[in-house]
Amino acid sequence: MERLVQTLVDAVSVGSLYALTALGIGLIFGVMRLINFAHGELITFAAYTLLALFGLPVPLMLFGAIAVAVALALVTERAAFRPLRNADPTTLLISSFAVSFFLQKLLILVVGSRLKGLDFLPALGRQIELLGIRLQLLQIATILVSAILLVALTWFLRATRLGLQMRAAAEDFRMARVLGVRANRVIAMAFALSGILAAAVSCLIVVQTGVVQPRMGLQLVVIAFVGTVIGGLGSLTGAALGGFLVGATSILLQALLPPDLRVFREAFVFVAVALVLLFRPQGLIPARGLKERI
Amino acid sequence: MPPPAASNARWSGLLLRLWPLVALIAIVVAIVLCASFAPVVLQRRTTQGLINLVAVVGLYVFVGNSGVLSFGNVAFMAVGAYVSALLTMKATAKSVFLPDLPAVIAHAEWPSLAGALAGGGVAALFALVVGWPLMRLSGVSASIATFAVLVVAYIVLGNWTAMTGGQSSLMGLPAYVDLWTALGWAVAAIVIAFAYQETRSALQLRASREDEAAAQASGVDVVVHRLIAFVISAFLSGIAGVLLAHFLGIVRVENFYLDLTFLIVAMLIIGGRGSLTGAVAGALVIAVLTELLRQIEIGVQIGKMTIGAPAGVGDVILALIMLLIILFRPNGLAGGRELTWPFRPR
Amino acid sequence: MSARLPLLEVSGLVVRYGAVTAVRGVDLQVGEGEIVSIVGPNGAGKTSLISAVAGIVPPAAGSIGFAGKSLAGIALEDVVARGLALVPEGRHIFASLTVMENLMLGATVRRDADGVRADIDRLFAMFPILGERRRQPAGQLSGGEQQQLAIARALLSRPRLLMLDEPSLGLAPTVVAQVYALLKSVREQGVTILLIEQNAERVFGLSDHVHVMSGGEFGLSGSAAEIKNDLRFDAAYFGVHMRQPASGQ
Repeated sequence: MERLVQTLVDAVSVGSLYALTALGIGLIFGVMRLINFAHGELITFAAYTLLALFGLPVPLMLFGAIAVAVALALVTERAAFRPLRNADPTTLLISSFAVSFFLQKLLILVVGSRLKGLDFLPALGRQIELLGIRLQLLQIATILVSAILLVALTWFLRATRLGLQMRAAAEDFRMARVLGVRANRVIAMAFALSGILAAAVSCLIVVQTGVVQPRMGLQLVVIAFVGTVIGGLGSLTGAALGGFLVGATSILLQALLPPDLRVFREAFVFVAVALVLLFRPQGLIPARGLKERI
Repeated sequence: MPPPAASNARWSGLLLRLWPLVALIAIVVAIVLCASFAPVVLQRRTTQGLINLVAVVGLYVFVGNSGVLSFGNVAFMAVGAYVSALLTMKATAKSVFLPDLPAVIAHAEWPSLAGALAGGGVAALFALVVGWPLMRLSGVSASIATFAVLVVAYIVLGNWTAMTGGQSSLMGLPAYVDLWTALGWAVAAIVIAFAYQETRSALQLRASREDEAAAQASGVDVVVHRLIAFVISAFLSGIAGVLLAHFLGIVRVENFYLDLTFLIVAMLIIGGRGSLTGAVAGALVIAVLTELLRQIEIGVQIGKMTIGAPAGVGDVILALIMLLIILFRPNGLAGGRELTWPFRPR
Repeated sequence: MSARLPLLEVSGLVVRYGAVTAVRGVDLQVGEGEIVSIVGPNGAGKTSLISAVAGIVPPAAGSIGFAGKSLAGIALEDVVARGLALVPEGRHIFASLTVMENLMLGATVRRDADGVRADIDRLFAMFPILGERRRQPAGQLSGGEQQQLAIARALLSRPRLLMLDEPSLGLAPTVVAQVYALLKSVREQGVTILLIEQNAERVFGLSDHVHVMSGGEFGLSGSAAEIKNDLRFDAAYFGVHMRQPASGQ
């Protein structure tokens, strides 16, 4: 019984991380039809910022990570994606792939490719007891932080003027502009929000693994991509759900699979995704207005 | 007596159509001929460049004709490499590295060509299986799905210790790939790619690239044509993987992952993803570039000092060039066009 | 014809898409308070014309002046702030957003929250069905209701000129009649209207002036009464160029 609850909590915790990552990707896809490979580098750079600021009070470290992620997101938008705003999705994809590798190789040039240890918020690694079941404080923290960010994002999108404009732009970008919605503002906001989400994921990952390395963001993001595709590109709910399912399934498989098959669990998850897509190529929760008008 | 006009026209028409193929092969052969007089080190680098050429042409067959970017071709390279390695390695070597192989494979010692074709064939089969659900997805979703294929292959090959040795290197492969073997396969790849893109299937696929809805309305089965391109592309990529493995003499799953993917994609984008000329151009340009960057990283000797760039600068510059190309010349150096016959008929 | 300066003045407008010339040098004037209609078959260039005025496509040549000021080079997002509102072909309401949210987007350029609220109340009086369904996703509305929403949304920016591209498209005749009646009352509130329609019959009762467009040019222009009875109408609609006025009539 305890094992079951522990596994479920673990699944929800990891699922939440992937949901947050997928949300960051989905936000940008919504307004720009861009799959942002560079989102992984936002996570990586935020982590290295934590490393660089280690020793300073924790709030300052967190602020630094968020600031770097948001700044990097805005810079990549302005320099690499704005000029391509009307390009076809494949060109945008190539561009984000190039940006991602450029940033990664640049980072490796500056700090080297070996992984570095980082003992960030070790207090969260404690075990606590909840209703008689031993759980990791970090897992609870991850779930809480994810829930808070999810609620905050939902509130922003539904209750604020800019949020409404973003939702409109995601559905019909040109019509939004015809009504006066400023394209640059809406897209910049999407990138900034994705930066905040990336920074949050980064902090949680660093606490969990205790390690930073140049590939950490990309590894996370690859799995999150698959989550957004299965959730339904263009729908934020779909992205979050897809990311969550992919992450949670991975943990559940780890618990359910026989020991020698456990290393292959991600492969199983992807095969499951492929099967879902076979029957529902548009994803679980497809977005309205995604098809091109004839 | 002058030849009949109709036959003349037919021949010149054929020449015009075949010109890109002939020209590309001639260029590649010429480069290799020059390299054959160069020191061994340069010959090896040229061989590596030829292997990359096969890989890029393989990627082009799918990307150029379908308009869908694939990140998964390096997975096919890996499959080809491992299959050929398993079939051609000496039984004694296999018993050292892979003691748990099934007996049939453990005792197999196939000749190189058979192993290579098997590698390409299994890669093609793999593509057929994963491509069937994948090709129904729309452009960007399909691209992400091919990324998943890359990751799955990496995970499976990297953990199936009994068959592949897992994370450790497989050594002792017959290293039969020299300059001329690589040239032979490079020419074969170019011919296959050219022959394919002249087929009706490829033409219909390219039509769908521009406007998927219109193509479907005219009865073109986009999924089937995409799958055909995907399978042929996988075969060529598998061959590239075979060549790489038997050039280096070792196979490591780590060599067939993100960095190689980036290199191949960069070559195709920089050269131009819309034409075979672009693919070949990309391979050639990157070969020259990596040579230059290598020199820069080694440095220049001035008196007692060596002034050179730090290691890793090459990768940054390559990524930057790819970014600049996509921003300012998105169709690449070849601009989506094939080499044209420079002498226009009057 | 009024002696006042026209609200909208288009002169020598040329619109090209690559090698195709959709609008071949059009002159158009819309006076304040008027209802001007442009009718013509599919492909005549009507949408291209209105898209150029609305800032969606850049003109290849010619000038567009609004309220005395040029609209040249102005960004798409800034057009509505100048006082032009567009209800595009196909309505383009945001199906996943509620009726209320759709309306609020119409007020994107407005800064006076109280004024917006008052206007919304007035709009609900004018379009009662929208008031009833204000919390529903706009995608659940019928075609006619969506058209009302699109017009209401455009009106919320308090435009001086309202442009509509084929508002009757896909709507049943009774619904079209309702929409046209609405447009009449919109004009009575001081909004100038530029209307594009394929179905010419309907616009005669509504418009002050009518232009018949075909093949990128205006073939025939005049007051609604004149055009309605002009024997050359069919020819102009289908693209036969008129050089001389017809004798008799």
